[in-house]
Amino acid sequence: MKKLRVLLVDDEIIIREGFRKLFDWEAHGCEVVGEAADGMEALSRIDELKPDIAVMDINIPIMNGLKVIQLSRIRHPDMAFIIVSGYDDFSYCREALRMKITDYILKPVDYEEFGTCIDNLKIARFLNQTETAPTSPEEPLPETRQTISRMTRFMQEHLAEEISLTVLADTFHLSAQYISQLFKNEIGVNFLAYLTSIRMEKARQLLLSTSLPVADIAERAGYADYRVFTKVFKKNEGITPSQYRREFLRKD
Amino acid sequence: MLRMEIALILVLCFIAFFYYTAEKPATPLHQIFSLLLGTVIVHLVFDGTTIYTVNRLDTVPQALNDGLHRLFLGTMVLVLYLFFRYITRLISDETGRSHRLFLPAILFLILAEIGVLLLPISYVRTPDGNYSDGPVVGVCYAGVAFYLILCLGAFIAGRRSLGKKQKLAIGAALLIEFTVCSLQGLNHTWLISGMGITLMTFSFYLTLENPEILRAELTEQKMSMLYLKSQVNPHFLYNTLDTIRIQAQLNGDTAVADMLMRLVDFFRLSVKVDRQMVPLDDEIEMIEAYLDLMCCRYPDLHCHFDIDPDLGGEPVPNFILQPLVENSLLHGLKNKGYRGELTITAARGGNSTLIITISDTGGGFSPGRREYVDNLLANYASETPVTRSIGVLNVQKRIKLLCGRDYGLCYLDNENGGLTARLTLPLEEVSL
Repeated sequence: MKKLRVLLVDDEIIIREGFRKLFDWEAHGCEVVGEAADGMEALSRIDELKPDIAVMDINIPIMNGLKVIQLSRIRHPDMAFIIVSGYDDFSYCREALRMKITDYILKPVDYEEFGTCIDNLKIARFLNQTETAPTSPEEPLPETRQTISRMTRFMQEHLAEEISLTVLADTFHLSAQYISQLFKNEIGVNFLAYLTSIRMEKARQLLLSTSLPVADIAERAGYADYRVFTKVFKKNEGITPSQYRREFLRKD
Repeated sequence: MLRMEIALILVLCFIAFFYYTAEKPATPLHQIFSLLLGTVIVHLVFDGTTIYTVNRLDTVPQALNDGLHRLFLGTMVLVLYLFFRYITRLISDETGRSHRLFLPAILFLILAEIGVLLLPISYVRTPDGNYSDGPVVGVCYAGVAFYLILCLGAFIAGRRSLGKKQKLAIGAALLIEFTVCSLQGLNHTWLISGMGITLMTFSFYLTLENPEILRAELTEQKMSMLYLKSQVNPHFLYNTLDTIRIQAQLNGDTAVADMLMRLVDFFRLSVKVDRQMVPLDDEIEMIEAYLDLMCCRYPDLHCHFDIDPDLGGEPVPNFILQPLVENSLLHGLKNKGYRGELTITAARGGNSTLIITISDTGGGFSPGRREYVDNLLANYASETPVTRSIGVLNVQKRIKLLCGRDYGLCYLDNENGGLTARLTLPLEEVSL
């Protein structure tokens, strides 16, 4: 799979250096291709390097991050933006969400959380591709694509149960190692990251569409212990399940 | 005419009473207005007196009449000068530039005042009433015209930076004074200059200087002071701590980086002082960060959380757990060398309540202490805080204030030693 090219935008050099050195870009199939310290520099870097992802601080000199996103969006509609900001102010979040940014994470940045964010971005790209892929009989999908699609569908249907590489290996008569590699090659994330991502998706959906207690939702999303579920959810969404439910219900 | 002057004095005294008793910020602008208001009243007194004396030229001694007229005209020039100062101050407050014609204005004031005191004065008798005349009056008219033109010039030059209200006030004041002066110039017996000055003062009072506006300004000033005290410093602290954390991690010191991460978390959540109510989960997260740090410092301290996952979004008063947890640590577990357990639970209680407990395995109340704390919590309204129990009292007061009298804090003894702080809060049921 092609490496994703990343631009880092933050006015503090130590924060950029932290991102570059402390996050395992290689393991997440990414490479940092450039950095920018202010809004104008960010704009010109984006035009020049055409990165796949820009990791952006909002509060940067000359032109703020949201403005940069707004302007870049016009010329680079497919680019993904991850906002990393110290402003945990909901109005900023809302404005950012309106711009369809990929994700919004708060400083202090937990690099593990940031990894989840990159993984989710790749999964979204994968799902987008499968949806828009041509399904004409003359040009069938490659074999590996078909296999992975079958597996992801199987996982989706058995979310409440325990799913592991071994389970998949037994069901599809393939080796666990092969399946693991398949996820890496086709989606660009490891099996566990994909599983967590669809479990969270399920949980979000249940939180908003049912009045089930959080513990029940945890179980339906495949977590026997709601404490573990709450922790994972918080890492993914930035807020706990019941806060998530309340936040969205209030908005409607 | 005398009756009008008396009415004007009464109105202005009324305004002055409100103005001087109002709480206001001590800015140069308001100081000029205070001075202006006082001078206008003094001027009106002379105005009224001269109207009386000028029509009794035969009975009132010449020297007294002259003196009063000189004072009347002198204060008139001073009032106009103060108007000029007030308007230019208003403009320079907005533009940030001081006015260039300040020196000519004050030189002119001195010359005009000397002229008013020394030049000869005469009186014109007409069937409609008498009025003063001569070079003195000429100086006075020149002064009025001079300052009005300066004001107009300053107003036109600074019009771009003025707000709507300021434009309205200055515009109205200048229009009134121009009209009144023209009328007075055309008909010398009208003697309406006092009315013009009063109306000018009035237009400023109504738009820019009334007690409501002054109070709002004062509140704004206080708020920005508060903002500076409570917001900027924590933000600076927390951004800097984060930078230090990343540097520590870059240097390979994960333990320090982790501790700093928790400290930053704690600060980030406690910076939200502007909100009275926060979600329970935010409050719990802050306590977790706080306790993680305490546990790093005292490895024999163990903490447990048992929070109903469905209650995480419930609003609770901001910063109520930290003082209680700190009490448990400092008064309970510290005596045992920070060896022991701290358990925090949150669960649904009866009658739509949220029950939060903080229990420790510390030494419990010392003799007599229990009665003291119970009494403090029961009479929270009348108690004045003593340094040692200020935290507990504040928690109780804030819950009663924000949630109602039915809710609050109490202390219970644990079966196996130690204390439990029990908070009862309202539960907001959300329906889907």
